Amino acid sequence: MKTVSSLLDEAWYARYKRISKLNIRSSIYDVTNRCNLRCKGCFFFSSGQDKAAEEENRLDRWEAFIDREMVRGVNLAILIGGEPTLFLDRVDAFYQRLPTFCATNGLIKLPRDRFPDLMVGISLWGDESDEKALRGKDTFAISSRHYAGDPHTYYLYTITPKQIGKIENVVRKIRDIGVKVHMQLLSNDEEVDGFSWTAQELNDVRYEMDDVLDRYPETVISCKYYHEVITSGEMLGRPFGWNECPSVTEPYDTRDPQPKRLIHFIRWASDLKTMHRCCTSETRDCSTCKDGAAHMSWVMVNKRAHIRSTKDLQNWIEVYEMFAKLYQFIPW
Amino acid sequence: MSVETKESDIIVRVAEVMIEELKLEDVTPTSFEPDIDLVDEIGIDSMDLATVALVLQDHYGIRFDEDDYPTLTTVRKIAAYIAARLAS
Repeated sequence: MKTVSSLLDEAWYARYKRISKLNIRSSIYDVTNRCNLRCKGCFFFSSGQDKAAEEENRLDRWEAFIDREMVRGVNLAILIGGEPTLFLDRVDAFYQRLPTFCATNGLIKLPRDRFPDLMVGISLWGDESDEKALRGKDTFAISSRHYAGDPHTYYLYTITPKQIGKIENVVRKIRDIGVKVHMQLLSNDEEVDGFSWTAQELNDVRYEMDDVLDRYPETVISCKYYHEVITSGEMLGRPFGWNECPSVTEPYDTRDPQPKRLIHFIRWASDLKTMHRCCTSETRDCSTCKDGAAHMSWVMVNKRAHIRSTKDLQNWIEVYEMFAKLYQFIPW
Repeated sequence: MSVETKESDIIVRVAEVMIEELKLEDVTPTSFEPDIDLVDEIGIDSMDLATVALVLQDHYGIRFDEDDYPTLTTVRKIAAYIAARLAS
């Protein structure tokens, strides 16, 4: 029987042990149905999730709900939306109770005197031209003023096919304001012209993601195995898709056989009753989904499948470390 | 149905379930080292443990408390946990 210590040297084994018992149990919460942007390709609006439920407006109900979530075993709250910073009291209700991550477009500055160490992930969809084409404005010009030098912030850079050849410029801009960056790929849910991936483009973007990781290791929070998995859609020869995805809402998971999945994962709508199918949307084609967190989780829940060679296990460790850094379970 | 009650027999049964459910290779129920750390060495995670616990619950007619999972780090500890529940 292959054991972890038989595959790793002392330094890698120490890295493994640092993360092996973290037991992260996340769920995702729509804080609101409202947003101060309308982006082409945003699954929340394109799939009608903003109309799936009436928003709960009473803060005491949010607080009671979060308490129940903690009893359910959730130890990481991932806040998305809409735009969570439109409702800071709701964000605070999570933040006061459990480790919390807040996704935002960065247009509203989260007050650091109220949320000193809340991890913030700022969505960014490219350089100025892509941002204007897809989101109607260059959000970086605003978010970079709000969060420059913030140690508890990173940019979640959603790379589009039009970014090939430009990724380094974006990474350098982020480095220059003293913030980290993590990368994922656009899933073109709305089939916006020119923003769907070809096989060649996926090869090219993988090369470029690897290159910026090598050249900006202090800025880019990533690893090459993640780049391989997200661009190829394969892990250990298995294709990503509905039958493999770990980020399916638990009560909706009727798959048989059930794959390895995130325990107790639920994606909650903002009425605190309605559940969405998964971490993205019911309308998304799972076989072409490029969601970064889903792919990371896919690797993470398949730990034992990676205990087959030293390189495979090191790959798994790097992906887990990346996730743990992005959600502040271990330092940068 | 009678079930094992001696801890040494429970250890073999737990190892057998673990090998079957988690498809562990190159190991038998009797060669499974009962004190090997399941997380640090075998790479078992909480979902694996939940899978094994479900089978053992059915077999022994006991209940595993999910809050106890972090303490169940070896086959011997799982066997002792089962034995304690059978005795109570």
